[in-house]
Amino acid sequence: MGCINVSGRGVQINEEGFLQNPGEWNREVARELACTQEGLTDLTDEHWSVVNCIREHYLEHDLAPMVRKICVTTGLKLTRIFELFPSGPAKGACKVAGLPKPDGCV
Amino acid sequence: MKPEPINAGPLEDRVEALKPDDLTRALEEFRAVMTRDHAAALASCVHCGLCSETCHYYLATRRLDAIPAYKLGLVASVFRRHEGLLGKVAPGWVGARTLNHETIKAWIDALFGRCSLCGRCALNCTMGINITAAIRAARGVLAALDLVPPGLKSTVDTALIKGNNMGISENDFVETLAWLEGEMQSDAGFETARMYVEETGCRMLYTLNPREVMFFPLSIVAVAKIFHAAGESWTFSKDGFDVTNYGLYDGSDAHAGTMSGRLVTSMERLGAGTLVLAECGHGFNSNRWEAPQWLNRRYPFEVKSILQVVAGYLRDGRIKVDAAQNTQPVTLHDPCNLVRLGGIVEEQRYLLRHTARDFREMTPNREHNYCCGGGGGQLAMTNYADRRLEAGRIKADQIRRTGAKIVAVPCHNCIDQLMELNKHYGLGVELKTVCELVANALVVEP
Repeated sequence: MGCINVSGRGVQINEEGFLQNPGEWNREVARELACTQEGLTDLTDEHWSVVNCIREHYLEHDLAPMVRKICVTTGLKLTRIFELFPSGPAKGACKVAGLPKPDGCV
Repeated sequence: MKPEPINAGPLEDRVEALKPDDLTRALEEFRAVMTRDHAAALASCVHCGLCSETCHYYLATRRLDAIPAYKLGLVASVFRRHEGLLGKVAPGWVGARTLNHETIKAWIDALFGRCSLCGRCALNCTMGINITAAIRAARGVLAALDLVPPGLKSTVDTALIKGNNMGISENDFVETLAWLEGEMQSDAGFETARMYVEETGCRMLYTLNPREVMFFPLSIVAVAKIFHAAGESWTFSKDGFDVTNYGLYDGSDAHAGTMSGRLVTSMERLGAGTLVLAECGHGFNSNRWEAPQWLNRRYPFEVKSILQVVAGYLRDGRIKVDAAQNTQPVTLHDPCNLVRLGGIVEEQRYLLRHTARDFREMTPNREHNYCCGGGGGQLAMTNYADRRLEAGRIKADQIRRTGAKIVAVPCHNCIDQLMELNKHYGLGVELKTVCELVANALVVEP
């Protein structure tokens, strides 16, 4: 269990860098997760389109979206998603979007 | 090394709350799963210590409690206490331990938290003890008490309730395949390639790891392209498609049987000739070797790894490949459940020698290869992630020594762990399935 610092406030993350409490997410938390956990230097508009798509789907369905939905909603190619988030949609993009770690081989 | 107090991590409170009735039930379950083979194994360890050097947890940490004989001893000491005369009358003399709250905590910590069921200790055991099987059986006792670490438990539960371990709906599965078909058909030479679902009477029923459908679908496209190039008759089942089986890892034969049984049902419903398992180590071991025992039946069909099938295409001239398409140096990871415990050893090497210019073996390799650290359900158990990454150093060092730029990994579970090792240890490699490399080298008629 660890902690990231967001504007002087401590936010708990688990052993794999996912938010302990997904309710604590906001754009600033996303930026901090991206920098400290995923080694991204900046979140571009493309990054945000993926993060917002995942976040909205999660709030509605309590589940991460399939990568097909991310591609269709954002209009980005599959290969582009992996360029944007080198750890992939699960451990990269879902983490930045503040989701809990998905089940399965991830 | 200073010993740390043993605790059950996130299950600590639940273990503390176990009542005498629960402990009686645990003992009954323990007696039920301890077959003659396990009993012989538990009585046979001579503490020679050879197994210590075989275990990646021990090699990475030099902790005494990571030694396989120690972990086996946790189970053996309980067996002696409850099944042997000396253990009953003078437990202290023979190092016998009662199955109580403390031993259960020690089991959770060691059997779930410091073992990936990779089988390397068993292969090297001077007494031939199947340590892996004994540890799995003890995990099954914990599963019967509902004492499985949270991430592994939720993955098992999702598979049992929703039919696959990521909870993908039938609709989402079919729509994703249609989307991938469109993407695939935009590639030159594959304009008429298809993703078949629910076709009856095909030669092959192909299966998938749900993470391919959910997040990493390029490997699905790769196999569909190879099937197309070989002119294969194949299909997916719309519901029984999940090749994974986390019942192998929580130790429950009942859970494992339910999961593997779904593939059998799909085979029978669609009347396919061969069940073809995706590049998934534990899925291969489960469905090829273990499942007929879990289900107590003989399979009336063949079960093969996709690697066997594709190697067959190449041998028979049904596909043509050009190694000039993969020029970067490639090494190969041997997933424990596919290779050491599964027996698929040379097919992937045959394929890589023909599809990559510069193929380099790791050392050691084949059945002696080290676990990546992600097996045994480790990837699902977030609470042990730090230990998993630490133990993965042995594999990271192996990869680095090859100087390869691409690691071919015939297992999606291993790929995920290797992605983390890549980041954590700064390896700078790319990870691909074997079929992705083969598909990239395919020569198709225009």
